[in-house]
Amino acid sequence: MHVRMRQWLMVVLTVFACGLPASAMAAETSSQEQAARQQTQPGNNAPVWRDVRGGDNPYQTTQVRGIESSVLVQPAGETWRQLRNGPITIYGGWLIVTVMALIGVFYWWRGPIKLHEKPTGRRLLRFGSWDRMVHWGAAISFVLLAVTGIIILFGKHILLPIFGYTLFAWLAILAKNIHNFVGPVFAFCTVLMFVTFVRDNLPKAYDLQWITKAGGLFSGKHVPSGRFNAGEKAWFWGGVTLLGIVVSVTGFVLNFPNFEQGRELMQQANVIHAIASIVFMTLSLGHIYMGTIGVEGAYESMRTGYVDEAWAKEHHEFWYQEMVAGNKSGGGAASPVAASALKEGWKA
Amino acid sequence: MARMKFLCDAERCIECNGCVTACKNEHEVPWGVNRRRVVTLNDGLPGEKSISVACMHCSDAPCMAVCPVDCFYKTAEGVVLHDKDLCIGCGYCFYACPFGAPQFPQDGAFGLRGKMDKCTFCAGGPEDDNSAAEFKKYGRNRLAEGKLPACAEMCSTKALLGGDSDVIADIYRNRVLKRGKGSEVWGWGTAYGKPEKGATPPAGAKS
Repeated sequence: MHVRMRQWLMVVLTVFACGLPASAMAAETSSQEQAARQQTQPGNNAPVWRDVRGGDNPYQTTQVRGIESSVLVQPAGETWRQLRNGPITIYGGWLIVTVMALIGVFYWWRGPIKLHEKPTGRRLLRFGSWDRMVHWGAAISFVLLAVTGIIILFGKHILLPIFGYTLFAWLAILAKNIHNFVGPVFAFCTVLMFVTFVRDNLPKAYDLQWITKAGGLFSGKHVPSGRFNAGEKAWFWGGVTLLGIVVSVTGFVLNFPNFEQGRELMQQANVIHAIASIVFMTLSLGHIYMGTIGVEGAYESMRTGYVDEAWAKEHHEFWYQEMVAGNKSGGGAASPVAASALKEGWKA
Repeated sequence: MARMKFLCDAERCIECNGCVTACKNEHEVPWGVNRRRVVTLNDGLPGEKSISVACMHCSDAPCMAVCPVDCFYKTAEGVVLHDKDLCIGCGYCFYACPFGAPQFPQDGAFGLRGKMDKCTFCAGGPEDDNSAAEFKKYGRNRLAEGKLPACAEMCSTKALLGGDSDVIADIYRNRVLKRGKGSEVWGWGTAYGKPEKGATPPAGAKS
């Protein structure tokens, strides 16, 4: 297990390392340059000092063991600091605040999307217990990671002035540990999410129609869709899958420094992790809004697994037709008919 | 008030690691933590040089800037110190530091690195000067006793200078004038090239 994890991490590290500039050759030439310089200008050590600032000289040694302990100066740290403290914190923070405000304005203007017709009272199984377990596993871990991540990146600016040093440090230690231990859980749930929901998220021709009409979000007109509409599919592929993989991989690089990865790799991982997770959080605001207060009945579908037939017809018409035709089961689990059949004790 | 700095004379350093040992002994730092190290450049090649490096107590310290809990503070003498009670062990100071000064007592699986430890310029921490709590967390507070850092005091060739910036710069200038070479003040551009930031007024340290 341990060896396999190490191998896996080495693959990840190698992928990242390929992006780094090869610098050993440059150092080789500069040490020759230094030897030549000593002949013509004894005492002029400029080539050596250039190396020192670059930190690339392969002939640098030290008796102290540690990560990159033979490197004297690593200039990349300053770049990382400027990126993290600058654009990531400032633009990232304002992006989250702006999107929250826009959603608030949208809710105030449009209100919740209600059912046009009366509920029929007949319910369809939309999400089986496995679907819901996987969804809430990922959702709860995501929210924990988002909140703790916000504390780690923005807490210094928004909470520290209110809480003071002692209380905020206590909160930050809690946030860091929750973040580091829930992170791998989220990565695991992301894999399960992909496997569970990929079949019904494959793009279909009718998704184009949904996209061109923006799902009727602004017009309020009904646009038919399958089990998942194009908006949900975009969230599945762009959010859960793509950003899920990006934040998980970079998160593992940062969470396990015991594999002796260098600082530059961790700086790059941190920058990618921060940007991807801010975009992820921003998109999730849309998903959380639609799944709770934005659409009537959406939260109940994931809470209980069941939706009313009227809801299914209005929001996911093609899926509703498939369900009524009875040739496809919702949630990858037993269809309502089969479920009741099992309860009755006879085999389908 | 004096501005405390380190200066390592690469023309004099003989890579004896006496400073490393002096530091370990003075502060009783745990295994695996090295507040100071000696790096040899072009080891075995013409123009070989050795440099002793620790926290340089930068004027615009990157560790201070990136710390998510703002646990760093700077004394009136420009010494960059940190509060281990606040430190969450995230490792960000280690990413940012140009000199590799921040050290962690644990290997860091699941980000469990323990509290960061680094050179204090022998100036302890936020606890009462020379108290048992201060010694346990940060080592000896020699500055409070009117002494300079143990590493520089112990240096056999006086390559490593630690103290008032003006005084050690003068000593170094005289050396360069006498020997006519080796004028590079290693690390000073990186450490002290920017305007001073975050220095606390002499009234007292942060609570």
